[in-house]
Amino acid sequence: MEIFNDYKDHADFLTVYVREAHPTDEWQMKSNLKDDVCYAQPRNLSDRLAIANDFIKRFKYPLPFGVDDMTNAANDAYAAWPERLYIIDENGKIAYRGGMGPFHYNPAEVRAWLATRYGEVKHSAVKTEEKKS
Amino acid sequence: MRKIFIWVGISLGVSLVIAFVALSVMAGGPKDALYMVRYALPHMHRGNLKVGDSAPDARIYALDGAETFHIRGRTGAKPLVVVFGSFT
Repeated sequence: MEIFNDYKDHADFLTVYVREAHPTDEWQMKSNLKDDVCYAQPRNLSDRLAIANDFIKRFKYPLPFGVDDMTNAANDAYAAWPERLYIIDENGKIAYRGGMGPFHYNPAEVRAWLATRYGEVKHSAVKTEEKKS
Repeated sequence: MRKIFIWVGISLGVSLVIAFVALSVMAGGPKDALYMVRYALPHMHRGNLKVGDSAPDARIYALDGAETFHIRGRTGAKPLVVVFGSFT
């Protein structure tokens, strides 16, 4: 979200919500229970939309948002599952393709790409400390 | 000949056990390893996209479920950062 705030005047952002990574009826992790993120894999669009809306509400998520349809077209086209980052340039070409999450999901690479183009956005140590507290 | 088959069988068995143990360590336990193979592997694919390729299009639903738009419809004036993921 910090990257969004820092570069939203220079780049557009879009979050695409895809099939669940760790639903209760498939590979649920202990962290899901701990964080109270317990949902079954949606079997229809309204279930998927309901979970996406819960997510937006819980995190007050500010980025523009869309939900993949139940054929998982976007997920398949972009090999997105479970999570992945892309940058599409003004000509509609892939300018950055991130690794597959969670281990290779790296927002710092997106920031570096944007910084190369538009300059680095520095945050003061005071602001960072305020945010941490 | 029979001995060769036995040794190949034992080697394969041992390799499978080692692979399962390694996967269990990586996934966080034997149950997680099994679930990873059953539920995650079919959906994990590297895909064919690379930098320089034309970005594919896909129809996306707005949060109200009524409106739709296209990923490529959001490209053009500025670079588009696309974040794919889910809540769980």
